[in-house]
Amino acid sequence: MPPAKLRALALALLGAASPALFADAFPPPPVASYQISCRLDPEKKTVEGTEVLTWKNTTSRPASTLRFHLYLNAFRNTLSTFWKESGGENRGGKLLESWGSIEVLRMTAADGADLLPSLKYIAPDDGNPHDRTVAEVLLPKPVAPGETISVAIDFLSRLPRVSVRTGYKDDFFFVVQWFPKIGVFQESGWNCHQYHATSEFFADFGNYDVSVDVPARYRGKVGATGRLVETRETSSGRILYRFQQEGVHDFAWTADPSYIVLEDIFREAGIGDAKLILLLQSEHASQAERHFRAAKAALSGYGRILGPYPYPTLTIVDPPWGARGAGGMEYPTLITAGTSWSAPTKILRPEGVTVHETGHQFFYGIIANNEFEEAWLDEGFNTYMTDRVLAAVFGPNHVDLSVFGLHFPLGIDIHEPLDVNRRYFEVADWDVLASESWRFRDRKSYGGQVYSKTALTLATLERLMGTAAMDRALRLYADRWRFRHPTTKDFIQAVNDSTGRNWDWFFDRTFYSSGVVDYAVADAESRPAKAPRGLFEKDGKLAEGAPSAIANPKGYDSEVTVVRNGDVAMPVYVQLRFENGSVYRSRWDGESRWKRYRVSAGPRLVEAVVDPDEQVLLDSDRTNNGRRTEGDPRAATRWTSRAVFWVQNLIDFMTVAW
Amino acid sequence: MSRGSPGALACFLRGLRLSLSKPYLAVALWLIQLLLAATLILPISNMLHGLLDLSPAADRMVANPDYGWWETVRRQHPDVLGNFPEIATGLLTTEGIRWSELPNMRGVGASAFSLALLAIVVHAFGLGGMLGALREPSSSLVTFGREGMRRMPAFLLFTFAAFGAAFAAYEWIYVESGEKLAPRVQQLHAEPTALAVTGLRLAALVVALAVIKLLADAVRAVWVARPDLPPVSRFFFGIGGALSRPLRLFGVLGFYAVSTAALYLIWLILDPSAGGEARFALVPLILAQQVFVFVRLLIKVGYYAGISEALTRTKSPEYSYVATAAPGAVPSAPPVADEAPVDQV
Repeated sequence: MPPAKLRALALALLGAASPALFADAFPPPPVASYQISCRLDPEKKTVEGTEVLTWKNTTSRPASTLRFHLYLNAFRNTLSTFWKESGGENRGGKLLESWGSIEVLRMTAADGADLLPSLKYIAPDDGNPHDRTVAEVLLPKPVAPGETISVAIDFLSRLPRVSVRTGYKDDFFFVVQWFPKIGVFQESGWNCHQYHATSEFFADFGNYDVSVDVPARYRGKVGATGRLVETRETSSGRILYRFQQEGVHDFAWTADPSYIVLEDIFREAGIGDAKLILLLQSEHASQAERHFRAAKAALSGYGRILGPYPYPTLTIVDPPWGARGAGGMEYPTLITAGTSWSAPTKILRPEGVTVHETGHQFFYGIIANNEFEEAWLDEGFNTYMTDRVLAAVFGPNHVDLSVFGLHFPLGIDIHEPLDVNRRYFEVADWDVLASESWRFRDRKSYGGQVYSKTALTLATLERLMGTAAMDRALRLYADRWRFRHPTTKDFIQAVNDSTGRNWDWFFDRTFYSSGVVDYAVADAESRPAKAPRGLFEKDGKLAEGAPSAIANPKGYDSEVTVVRNGDVAMPVYVQLRFENGSVYRSRWDGESRWKRYRVSAGPRLVEAVVDPDEQVLLDSDRTNNGRRTEGDPRAATRWTSRAVFWVQNLIDFMTVAW
Repeated sequence: MSRGSPGALACFLRGLRLSLSKPYLAVALWLIQLLLAATLILPISNMLHGLLDLSPAADRMVANPDYGWWETVRRQHPDVLGNFPEIATGLLTTEGIRWSELPNMRGVGASAFSLALLAIVVHAFGLGGMLGALREPSSSLVTFGREGMRRMPAFLLFTFAAFGAAFAAYEWIYVESGEKLAPRVQQLHAEPTALAVTGLRLAALVVALAVIKLLADAVRAVWVARPDLPPVSRFFFGIGGALSRPLRLFGVLGFYAVSTAALYLIWLILDPSAGGEARFALVPLILAQQVFVFVRLLIKVGYYAGISEALTRTKSPEYSYVATAAPGAVPSAPPVADEAPVDQV
């Protein structure tokens, strides 16, 4: 058994890991490390660089080739897979026709062998001959298992105007997915997917040492993954920043002369000790504290359940107006937030984005699943945790009414996790959640499934097994897979191991199904009990008329029918509430299509509710989950009066202008 | 401004006084609007009673909107509202709405929209009745109906012309400009500047709509005030009247807008619909809603009276409709002479 597995097993037996053990585990053994020197040309919008990649083959098979992600080539032209899949739109806006690219100018092995002539572009996902986001080079000699290779690469990255994650806007630069990056070599071969419209990333952990050379006007306004270890003037009015970080799997940096740079400290015993660096736009200066509070809430909330945040820094970037496509992204120790000039405190916009992206430091950053193939393991798990942190720290959100770009909170509460994930219900049966990220029907389905269905699935699981058990399962999963690449099966195994029960049935019906959950109360009636009629035994003979003992029944006969309208069965409680205040609860396994409850000569039934505690959050229609035996027209009448009133106002509005 | 010409505020206040002195005009408009809206009561009411009466959710829905309940109803019953909420909120966006979205309207939302179109037609009738009745010293609901029918053909034309102009203004001034400016707005340095650009587009639209409205209202007012003139002259008298005293008319419109906005603000602050039975029981709630509508219509009538005041200081040369005398009959009274020309026109 590998040492990591032994350690994970030991931690699982302990129930919870101590910070000291995590200290031993960090940094993880490097697999792909980079030493990069680069130079920004703000006028040409290019980054010219040299990287030295040190890569170790951790599998048991030799690697005869190397595969690289060349993500910026997604922006090369409209024939790229990314452009085709996007349909000209992405991240809530139109893709700008501003082209980006990355060219490999030189690639040599440590022994001086020129690898560039063998470089060819491949498209392992869709065979698109025009897509150049993955390149493969043939090695003169295979890299043996356990062996390390070093490759030097010169590259030129041309940045697009920001519309999706990376690029520039005026003097603002958000330089991400910007250097030739090696794929992940697994027992099955290279895992190196093309850049898709809905996919994110996957890489091995390593140590990064990156020097960024920028014009002097960017002095003090550069942020990046890791800690700043060196600043020095270079020739002709330029300045060089050097950043280092161990135990990460990507590197991002940004520069903008208009940043306001603010700092704070997150310190919580056993959870983390990190410097928070906020690179804020001046128009959002009044929101600095909101960003810091949200980041701290996330580090604390996630850390308490998943283990400590191991890095010394967290940089929060606020992209400028016109570059919002760079917002809401996560990179190791660097995230982009998202807010607006009018940001009422009742609308948790900067808080929600900041908590979510900070949370990615755990799901993605530390627990590094394959985002191409199992995006729900980071986006969905992170959404679930975001909802928990927001609910615990900030309370309910509010409906946001945007009036010509200004935001106003309507007095309508939005509760986590159910209300914020309702987009799932619109696409509930469109796709199986467990699909590769580029194989969803469309972006709407991707978002509804990967983010919201996963969050509601985990929230349902939490309600079925209890919060404490859920936290233990998450902790075990995190402990086992910290600085590694887990899959869905690993999470399910952690849940089964931590609870001592087999939850496969639950995941089969959620992660691996496109079925819909919908329980309903079809009928609920309560009538005065009637005297029995017919022939009854009296003194050994049959005679008409019920014996006096049962001739005059008191109370009511009640009957309730609950039905399963959806394809997916879940165990649910059924609750009957009676007039005398008594409550009857019954657990129904939910497998059959319907179940009937009868109560004879009991108190009058007031209402019947299926899933009264809202445990099964995947229920797509909760308006049919309850039924009363007697109608109460007050709500409907009040809303009718409102509707008529507002139609009167609408008529007046329609006739006022002309 | 000529001697004796009242200012905008005076015109508006005089209009309000006139409106208060003839409350049946607001009553008539209120009835029209209520009856139009009432056509939707049954589908809305039946739907809500069907979904809510036996639902345990009704308890919490009495007091406040339940986001989850409404979201589910919209999703599960798409034919009820269709994309009406999107269109309504789309009007408030920086992009505006495209009329191509209208075919997606369904159910109550589509009915409400059709109703509003019908209301435009009825509005033409109402305006004729209102302006006609306002100019008569002693008028009644009968006058309102008679004058409304009498002016309807011409007023319908004005109304549709104004409607078309307003539609074009929205499309060209707001939607098209937004589309054309979008890439440049994204290039701006900061969001407040982008908001200012939206503000300018909005201001331009509001001014255009105000001009359209004032021109239409001026033509209507003069149309009623000067029946002695041929139609073409009345039309150009109206246009000329509006162009010769724009500040006064804008002022009256401004006071109307401000007082109506203030009324809505008060309503939103009081929010009698919220809080369930604790704040307003059902009957007081419905009464409060209808009182609000009525007060708003009093102000509306006051505005039209104010516009009429701003354009025409004198009584109409024709107090009332007089049936053409039968051949050979001696008229009981001489026809009323044109007393004075329209103020400074």
